[in-house]
Amino acid sequence: MIEARGLSKRYGDLLAVDDVSFVVQEGEVVGFLGPNGAGKTTTMRMLTGYLPPSDGTAVIGDADIFEQPIAARRAVGYLPETPPLYPEMDVQGFLRFVARLHDVPRREIRDAVDRALERCGLADVRRRVIGALSKGYRQRVGVAQAIVHAPPVLVLDEPTVGLDPIQIREIRGLIAELAAPRDGEPAHTVVLSTHILPEVEAICQRVILINRGRKVVDRPLAELTADGARLEDVFARATARDADAEEAEA
Amino acid sequence: MRHAGTIAGRELRSLFVSPVAYAVLTLWALLGAFFFLSTLVQFQEILLRMQQFQMFDQLRQMNLNDALIEPFFQTMWVFFLIGVPAVTMHLFTADKANRTEELLLTSPATIWDIVVGKYLAAAGFMVLMVALLGFFPGLLFAFGDPEVGKTWAGLLGMVLVALAYAAIGLFASSVTSNQIIAFFLALMLIVLFLLLSLIGDLGAASGFFGMGESVAGVMRWLATAEHFSRLTQGLVETRDLVYFAFIIGVFLLLTKASVESVRWR
Ligand SMILES: Nc1ncnc2c1ncn2[C@@H]1O[C@H](COP(=O)(O)OP(=O)(O)OP(=O)(O)O)[C@@H](O)[C@H]1O
Ligand SMILES: [Mg+2]
Repeated sequence: MIEARGLSKRYGDLLAVDDVSFVVQEGEVVGFLGPNGAGKTTTMRMLTGYLPPSDGTAVIGDADIFEQPIAARRAVGYLPETPPLYPEMDVQGFLRFVARLHDVPRREIRDAVDRALERCGLADVRRRVIGALSKGYRQRVGVAQAIVHAPPVLVLDEPTVGLDPIQIREIRGLIAELAAPRDGEPAHTVVLSTHILPEVEAICQRVILINRGRKVVDRPLAELTADGARLEDVFARATARDADAEEAEA
Repeated sequence: MRHAGTIAGRELRSLFVSPVAYAVLTLWALLGAFFFLSTLVQFQEILLRMQQFQMFDQLRQMNLNDALIEPFFQTMWVFFLIGVPAVTMHLFTADKANRTEELLLTSPATIWDIVVGKYLAAAGFMVLMVALLGFFPGLLFAFGDPEVGKTWAGLLGMVLVALAYAAIGLFASSVTSNQIIAFFLALMLIVLFLLLSLIGDLGAASGFFGMGESVAGVMRWLATAEHFSRLTQGLVETRDLVYFAFIIGVFLLLTKASVESVRWR
């Protein structure tokens, strides 16, 4: 469903993402890990069409991000690192705008917005102005705008940052539910970045770990923790030194 | 292009919850009322004096269009220099501050949709401003008999000049993330277009930079005032319409290029 082929991003002299390739299957939830500044956000920005890769490409569904950029973007729901919100709009007005922007048919907009509001625990604040919401609620609106048009692919950059414990559990539940829906709806494919390792253990099937722009681990979660190893140790080992990183990759 | 409509609608709604829109409209209406009245008073004084001195030939040539409506539009035009940049300065800068740029650019809308959508919102506001202004010459129809065609031509001139300035303002807001800088950049560009004919004249006269008569001619053509003046005088000519379409087109394309360049940097 998602395929990254040798993605690289150069900022001047800095190689922020260096030849990263991976495949994410339909219905899979992949955790994107790495220390601060590793290149997670940059990679996600390339997958979603915000930043053009310096090298390499990615395919979303059947659409190459260079050759069919609109089709590729249409397939993705994206929660950027900073939730993109218009502070002067009210919550439901904003979600309606996002739905329309993402080509949800006019007749279905109301239902789509209601469902997103409900799923993200926003029903009570639907008429509130976004600028007056607390940080956690704004984060929820960020998640809601990513899922309102029911895209097959979700790219979520630190989705649970700033949320209270109950809401964290609910958003995790929501992500799991979107990836493996019970009611016969199509499964979503999810890539999420996070610094919360228990979150990865709770909802991800696979872990991709990048360090200094390079992919150093790409394995199913079950394998990584099979021998009772803790994800924290895996993370520490993989990011400790470049030499170690090479080893982990091999 | 449906996306452009979606974006334009959102921009307009946001504009009307901001104080800027109301401040600009209120000031505009007040200035309009003040300068309309003062032009009217002047007009009457001239009439009076002409009667006093028995200048019947000139008196016969006096009419509401040339002696009142045209100077009124010429005066109000000056306020576009500040009013239009004040309305357009936030168009792209706000999206950078809110990070909604990332939302727009990763949506199925194309960059052209985004540029046109934002421009349509600004254009709608400009039409509203000029419609508001049309109220004052409209009053004259109740008490006198100005020429309908000339009055419409003047209003058309006001709309076109505002639309051209809005395109310039949109471009200015796309090259910076700071509203204040966007405002002054737009103001500077607009003033530059006003001064172009002067620069052209000077250049041709002094032979500065080896500027020939043809370059000076182009600069004079690019200058706004002459095209605008002909419209306020009631002359609707294709070459002036082409001029405004040209300015709008060029600045929309420049805006598109500037938004694109952010991604490729
Ligand atoms: N616009 C930019 N210009 C220059 N360098 C940038 C830019 N954006 C990111 N970088 C650099 O690219 C590298 C990767 O940044 P990125 O934001 O992708 O990291 P990250 O893995 O998301 O980190 P975090 O966990 O802190 O969110 C960093 O060294 C960062 O300084
Ligand atoms: Mg990041």
